Amino acid sequence: MTSTVPAATEVADTLPPAEPGLSPRRLWPFVPAAIVLGALFLAPLSIAVAASLWRTSPSLQLIPDWTLDNFRYLLGQAGYIALFGKTLLMAVVVTAAGITVAFPFAYFLVRYVSRRWQRIVLLAVVVPFWTSYLVRVYAWQAILGSQGLLNGLLKELGLISQPVDVFLYNDVGVFIVLLYVYFPFAALTLYSSLERFDFTQLTAAQDLGARPDQALRRVLLPQIRPGLITACIFVFIPILGEYLTPDLVGGTKGILIGSDIISFYLGGSFPLMAATALLVAVVVLALLIVFRRYLQVEDLVAGGR
Amino acid sequence: MAESYSRREFLKIGAGLSFGAFLAACAGAASPAPSTGGASTAPSPSSAGSAAPSIKPVPSASPGPINFLTWSDHWGKDEIKAVKSSTGIAVNVTELADNIDGFNKLNQVHGQLDVVSGDALWVPKYYDAGLIEAVDINSFKVASELYSMARSFPFWTKSDGYLAYPWGWSPIQIAFNPKFVTPAPDSWAVLIDPKYKGKVVMERQPTDMMLFAGVATGAKDIYNMTDTELAAAKDWLTKLKPNILKLVKQNNETIASLASEEAWLGTQNLGSPDRVKKAGGPEIQAFVPKEGTTGFIDGEMTVKGGQNHDRVHAYIEAGATAEFVAQNFLDNGRPLWNEKAYTLLVNMGKKDQADRYLYNQPDLALKMQLKGPSGNTDAYIKAWQEVFGA
Repeated sequence: MTSTVPAATEVADTLPPAEPGLSPRRLWPFVPAAIVLGALFLAPLSIAVAASLWRTSPSLQLIPDWTLDNFRYLLGQAGYIALFGKTLLMAVVVTAAGITVAFPFAYFLVRYVSRRWQRIVLLAVVVPFWTSYLVRVYAWQAILGSQGLLNGLLKELGLISQPVDVFLYNDVGVFIVLLYVYFPFAALTLYSSLERFDFTQLTAAQDLGARPDQALRRVLLPQIRPGLITACIFVFIPILGEYLTPDLVGGTKGILIGSDIISFYLGGSFPLMAATALLVAVVVLALLIVFRRYLQVEDLVAGGR
Repeated sequence: MAESYSRREFLKIGAGLSFGAFLAACAGAASPAPSTGGASTAPSPSSAGSAAPSIKPVPSASPGPINFLTWSDHWGKDEIKAVKSSTGIAVNVTELADNIDGFNKLNQVHGQLDVVSGDALWVPKYYDAGLIEAVDINSFKVASELYSMARSFPFWTKSDGYLAYPWGWSPIQIAFNPKFVTPAPDSWAVLIDPKYKGKVVMERQPTDMMLFAGVATGAKDIYNMTDTELAAAKDWLTKLKPNILKLVKQNNETIASLASEEAWLGTQNLGSPDRVKKAGGPEIQAFVPKEGTTGFIDGEMTVKGGQNHDRVHAYIEAGATAEFVAQNFLDNGRPLWNEKAYTLLVNMGKKDQADRYLYNQPDLALKMQLKGPSGNTDAYIKAWQEVFGA
C-alpha cells in the first residue's frame, strides 16, 4: 500500500527558499520593539553608563573624561558598602515577610472562600493601588507617628503610657510600609498560582501517608514554585531602588541605597548618581540570572522553543 | 510566509535595531547642525562675548501657564488665583528644595521653566552659566514699592541689568521649644547635644548644612573650607546626624514638626515662632547662634529663553504687589523687600510683628554672610553625603 502522506522532504521542497540573513522587509515587525527598547532602555542605560565614567569639576560641571574614579570612590567607602548591604538585607526581610503573610492569605482565599467573596477580597487588596503611592505612604506617617493611630491604639489598650517613637523615622517604619506596599504584589502572584493548583492532590498525598506539612512541602510548594519565585522578584527587586518610602518614613536612620542616588542627583553629582544606580542595576541583573536558573520563564509565559 | 521567533531572538533583534538607531542618533548629534537662520535672537550685550550658551526663546503656539520653580513661601494660592483673574496668566508652581537643586533642574530643562527663585550669591552663578537673563528692574512699575537698596544689590547688578526681582531675606536661626530645650541655647552646639537625639529637623540642603557646619566649627571662609576645615565640618555633621529626626524639603515641614512637638529644634527663617503658633503648636523661641550664621536675600530670576518669557514681566507686576507681599509676610513671617507692604502691615496694626522680624531694618540684610555656592561644591556634597548617605 502506498502512503498518501507526502514525505517531509517533499513538503520542504514545495516551500519557498529560506531568505539568507535578515532582510529589511523582515525587520519591520521588530521596529516597535526596537523603539521601546531603544527609547526606554538602551538610551537611558547608555547615558547612565557614560555619565558614570565621567567626572565633575569642583563647581559640578560635567567633564567627559573617562575614568573609573566614581566606582572606586563608591566601593572604597565603607559607609556606602554598608548601606548597600543594609538595602539588600531590607529587601530580603521584606520579601520573606511578604511571602510569609501572602502565602497563608492566598491559600486560605483559594481553598476556603467562595468565588464571589474571593473577588471582593481581591478587590480590597487592589483598591489601594487606585490612590497614589505618595498618599499611601503619607497616610502611614499619620498611623506610625508618635501622635499617630498606632500609638493611640497601644495607649488605649494600656500597653504603653507615653507615646513611643519606635515606629517612624527608622528602619522599623521603612519595613512596615514596604511590607504594606509590596504585599499585594506577592498576594496576587501567589493567588494566581494557587488558583490553578488541584487541591485534591494534597488529600491524595495524605491518603498515601504524608503528614499535612509533608504534603505541603513535597506536593504543593514544588508546583507553585514559579509563582513563589515571581512573587520574590516582584517584591525584592523594586525594593533595591526604593527611595520614597525611606525618605518619608525612614528619616536619616532609615535610608536605603536609592536615597543616595537621589541625594547625588540633588547635589548635582551626576557621575556618582549614575555609578550608584549602575551598581544597583548590576546586583539586580545578577539576581535575575540566579532567579532564572530556577524559573523557566519561556516555558511558563511564552511557550518558547 | 510562516516564521516564528523565540522571545530571545525577538529581543535580540529589537535591541540590535535600537542600538543601531541609537548610534546613528549619536553620530547625528555629534555633527554640526546646519544653520537655520532667521529664528535666532540678537545676542545680549553680556552674552555676546561670553562662553555662555546662547538659548533661543521657544515660541509657543498658545501661551501656557508660567512655569515657576520656587520655594513654598514664595507664592500663595490666593495670589495665583488673583493674578489669573486679573491678567489671564496661569502659574504652574514646582517647589525646589535647594539652590543647587534649582540650578541643576534649570540646567537640564532650560526654557521649559520661566521663573526660578534663587538666593543671593547663587543668582550670579545662574547668570554666569547662561541660564537667566538680566532685567531692567526699573521697568517694573511694582519695583517702585521696593526698598531702594533692593534695587541696587551690588552682587545682582550687571552692565546689562539686574539679575533678579527681589523677594525676601532672613538670617537662618535656630528655633527651639523652651518646654524641652533648657537652658535656652545660644550656640550651634545645641544641635549636636546628645540630649536632643532625634529631635532636630533641618531642610535637606547639603551645601547649606555644610556652611552651617563651617560656621559652627569656626571655618575662616565657609565657602572655601580647607581640607582640615572640611574634616572638622564633616565631624560636626557626624555628631549632628543622630539628633536629626528627618531632613525635610520645605521649611513649612519644619514648622509642622515643631508644631506637633515631634521635633524640639530646627533651623528656620525669621518668623518661626508665629508660624508654629499659627499651626496650632506651642510657644517656641528662636535665636541667631553666637558663632554667626548664614542668611539669604532671595529673588525671582527670569529664565533665558523661557517658553512664556514674555509674560513673566506681567506676572511679577501683578504678583509682587504690596497686598500680596503683606499677606505673604503674615503667612511666613520673614521680612520682604516690598516697603509699601510694610506700610500696609503698619496700617493693619501689625507693626509690632513686622518690626520684631526686622521688616523695618532692611540694611541688616547686607551684614549677613550670604548664601552662595561653594568654590568646591563637589567636595562639600561628598562630605555631606558620606555622613547622611551612609
